[in-house]
Amino acid sequence: MKHLKSVNKKAKILEAAVSREEVEEVVAMQTVVGCTATTDPGWEVDPFGGLSSLCAPMESDLYGCADACWWPAQVPDTMSTSPDWSRGIDKANVDWRKLDGIFPEDE
Amino acid sequence: MKQISKKSALLIGGFLALAGNGTFAAAAQPMSGEQIIQQQCTACHTKTGDASKPYSRISQQRKTPEGWQMTLHRMVSIHQAKISDAERKQVLKYLADTQGLAPAETAGLRYGLERDGNLVENNDPAYAEMCARCHSGARFGLQRRTRAEWDLLVQFHMGQIPTLELHSLARDRPWFELAMNEVAPKLAEDFPFETAAWKAWQAADKPTFAHAWTIAGYIPGKGDFDAVMQVRDQGDDRYALEIAGHYADGRPLSGSGQAITYTGYEWRAALTLDGMKLRQILAANEQGTQMTGRLFMAGANELGAEMVAQRAAKGDHAVTRVMPSHIRQGTRQEITLVGAGLQGTPELGEGVRVIKTLSAGTNRMRLLVEADKQAAVGLRDIRVGQIQVPAMLAVFDQVARVEVVPGESIARVGGNGMPVAKVKSAYRAVGYASGADGKPGTADDIRLGHMPATWTLKAFDETAEQDNDLKYAGTIDANGIFTPGDAGPNPERKMSTNNVGNLSVVGSVDDGGGQVSGEAHLLVTVQRFVRSSVQ
Repeated sequence: MKHLKSVNKKAKILEAAVSREEVEEVVAMQTVVGCTATTDPGWEVDPFGGLSSLCAPMESDLYGCADACWWPAQVPDTMSTSPDWSRGIDKANVDWRKLDGIFPEDE
Repeated sequence: MKQISKKSALLIGGFLALAGNGTFAAAAQPMSGEQIIQQQCTACHTKTGDASKPYSRISQQRKTPEGWQMTLHRMVSIHQAKISDAERKQVLKYLADTQGLAPAETAGLRYGLERDGNLVENNDPAYAEMCARCHSGARFGLQRRTRAEWDLLVQFHMGQIPTLELHSLARDRPWFELAMNEVAPKLAEDFPFETAAWKAWQAADKPTFAHAWTIAGYIPGKGDFDAVMQVRDQGDDRYALEIAGHYADGRPLSGSGQAITYTGYEWRAALTLDGMKLRQILAANEQGTQMTGRLFMAGANELGAEMVAQRAAKGDHAVTRVMPSHIRQGTRQEITLVGAGLQGTPELGEGVRVIKTLSAGTNRMRLLVEADKQAAVGLRDIRVGQIQVPAMLAVFDQVARVEVVPGESIARVGGNGMPVAKVKSAYRAVGYASGADGKPGTADDIRLGHMPATWTLKAFDETAEQDNDLKYAGTIDANGIFTPGDAGPNPERKMSTNNVGNLSVVGSVDDGGGQVSGEAHLLVTVQRFVRSSVQ
């Protein structure tokens, strides 16, 4: 990183917002039990314990990550475990109301 | 592979067995759990020929009831095991009883079973980076396996989640080598299959449950309560429950339910109290005199609280709760003692007098109590007959500090026409008096217990303020229950983002006219589409 220079506005903001020390802290950070923060991006929490580094709205690119087991403990992966979870719901950003959960019956 | 629909992905086990009469009839079929394993599971699992570990994979692991529940679910949903719901219940019971965890082996991780998601785990960094970055540390910490089985668990993850090595905290290091050479051996050492604790528990006399129990707890939105739970034996470790009691404000509370026990001490019950469907996940102590755990809403597991059940059989004497657990110097108030075998006039410690006994039952006493103006600030032991319980009642001068619990929490958007419901969160205020040093926030603060509070929200940080999270993320009611916003992209928000938000929950306690406030952190975030018995 020290050999790279930020050239546009967004890169400069990022550089100012995230110092190298903060990045190091991410490794040791723990979030609320059972949440995934470090899958880059996390699902429900970002590596800084907030929300601003997550994909949002999540419906806009849900399958791009979830299909490939990016958050297998939070979102069904269609690559291995739940191949039919999103069948017939091709556009999550349009048909998100059809997305169901895989939950224990007693809930 | 078959569609894993909400219906076919049903987790089986105790709760399902408790759900209706028909399931009990089904459970009474002739084949035992062991016979079902021999008949159904050996289609894939081989017989080892070793009587102490007769089946491949199955016999080299020990798990909690919920752990076996997840395993059996996976066998059906991923590996197409041909096994009926009734058979799964039989196998679950058999495996949890014969290959469970000893009480001591679940200590410190019971939140994983109790579905309490609003806390921060303290995982060993080796596990935090390898395992607990996707799921809880309790999920594996509540299992015991041979070294070979821990190795196979790593292999399973590689096969089932092939992109695992590409995640952050994996792609920057030789993940597989670390997992196999460092983490699996560590797991085998920290959570070994054979332990002295399990051997001792297998040999121990187990608790009995068919007694009267005094239960005390808290129901979000309703308040503190105590009740007597009559437990009737129905055979095969199943029990019928009748419950009658009161909320702290005197309103009556009643209901019934059914329970099942696993491994000799794991209590799982489904109740209907006041029309509310609730669950108990409790563990009996090794003497069988007390059960502790969590009571929560069946349809909203996040709404719950710790509860205690004290055996109230002949010869049992205990005080389990004092409600409220604090009294201000120079004031008079009602106090309720909850326990078993309560006899005689209670003594509440120096400077605290019982003015009048308002009602005196063996499981519940209501007292009118007065604290002297000069009573020293501090905790008092309580004596009732032969019972003496240390540090149960706090005398205080003023509320110096308020802690809002849980301090870290998650709520999730939902509803709005989609089948995934909103996940709420619930808060309570805990008051503290300054200790001898007169300064709040130091080690000698005196915990006063839960106190009534008023509730507000505010943006957690500057980003939340700029994104107007407060407007969209949800609302909190007078009982401290937060309800998140609706699911779906919100065109009103920047980039049509979801109704997520980074908030502070502020609880304010009225301390004789002045307000003392505390704050907790709440992340309102997106839905969880996969939920497991141990997250």
